[in-house]
Amino acid sequence: MQPFTLKYAFPKGICQAVTPYHFDPAQQLNVLPNGRPAVSDPDLLLAVGTTTSTAGSATHFDD
Amino acid sequence: MTVLILTSEEDVTADMVVAALHGTGTPVLRLDPADLPGKAVLSADYAHGDFDGHLSVNGHVLSMGGLRSIWVRRPGEPAAHAADPSPWLTAETRQALYGMLHSAAARWMNHPRNADQARLKPWQLRVAHLSGFAVPPTVFTTAPRLAREFVEEYREVVVKSASGPPPDDPQVALPTTLIGPDADFAAVAAGPALLQRYVHKRADIRLTCVGTRLFAARKIAEPGQVDGRYGDTGHAWQPVPVPDRIGKSVHEYVTLAGLAYAAFDFAEDEDGIWWFLECNQGGQFGFVELETGQPIAAEVALWLAQHRADRRSR
Ligand SMILES: Nc1ncnc2c1ncn2[C@@H]1O[C@H](COP(=O)(O)OP(=O)(O)O)[C@@H](O)[C@H]1O
Ligand SMILES: [Mg+2]
Repeated sequence: MQPFTLKYAFPKGICQAVTPYHFDPAQQLNVLPNGRPAVSDPDLLLAVGTTTSTAGSATHFDD
Repeated sequence: MTVLILTSEEDVTADMVVAALHGTGTPVLRLDPADLPGKAVLSADYAHGDFDGHLSVNGHVLSMGGLRSIWVRRPGEPAAHAADPSPWLTAETRQALYGMLHSAAARWMNHPRNADQARLKPWQLRVAHLSGFAVPPTVFTTAPRLAREFVEEYREVVVKSASGPPPDDPQVALPTTLIGPDADFAAVAAGPALLQRYVHKRADIRLTCVGTRLFAARKIAEPGQVDGRYGDTGHAWQPVPVPDRIGKSVHEYVTLAGLAYAAFDFAEDEDGIWWFLECNQGGQFGFVELETGQPIAAEVALWLAQHRADRRSR
């Protein structure tokens, strides 16, 4: 029998947010193609949704 | 003295803190335990009655004698990125890394022992009671009869998961949902159900606590809306002052729980009461800072860079 709580689960839809930044090992943070830190563009971070509380990775439920 | 941040590379919320630490010239090492062994290298020696250890990654080096504080943000599983990962390799690597970090005299945000306990939702409700918060009636049960009786008593009831969506299926969402009186209560026997009285809310509240600093944000809810994270209503997070009573209860809560960082969720009802829903010991704050402009990352950086001993970090 399926556990009660899982009866309320639904598929999220494939979410393939392409993040237009990559990790820079020297600065230890993510940078945009122009070399500026990703955090210098708050609108972009909001748009890609990686800072929201549903963006948790599978190993993290502390949102 | 160096700040150690345990998190994944793609964590841009951690970037906000790294940038703040760079801004104040505070040395920082960012490490994902998943990269150990491999990209990251560890060595700790326990000899001649003494202890020392080193961590390095991407050309950055940290010695345990120079470790100021540790921010456990979103660390991967130790050895997850190893060439031949296995549960055994993860266990060995966890021993090596966390054994070394616990041997050092550093402040933790948050201490793993306290973090583990703080993740237990039923315990959170108890601590919330003791801290003076209003807590909606809640039951966590494997007894179908008790679940049905709870719904008959409170009528409007939500179900939520205690641990989040199934970790083995990243495509599944499990939002808090209203259940009806005709729900299939027999299934409660197959898995504990966390049921809570629905709060008729006019807003969701997110309160982020960093050390002793509090940042509260409020987002208007649509009538009848349940999980504020799903379904865009067009309302944004706005900064709000923290009522005195709430501030006192938050301090009580984080002291009882031993937390240096915590993100609380509340539902604000029609009388303005903030009902405690949960306390996320590692809760995301990126979206709050970006929408409200509240300087949470700078406060986290400040806490990590401080010298002061904090009884909640040990
Ligand atoms: N009893 C409740 N009444 C009204 N809304 C609720 C209730 N419990 C949860 N919610 C809504 O669902 C969201 C998620 O629930 P929460 O208790 O924070 O668990 P989690 O975030 O771990 O899934 C809350 O932020 C809130 O918007
Ligand atoms: Mg929540």
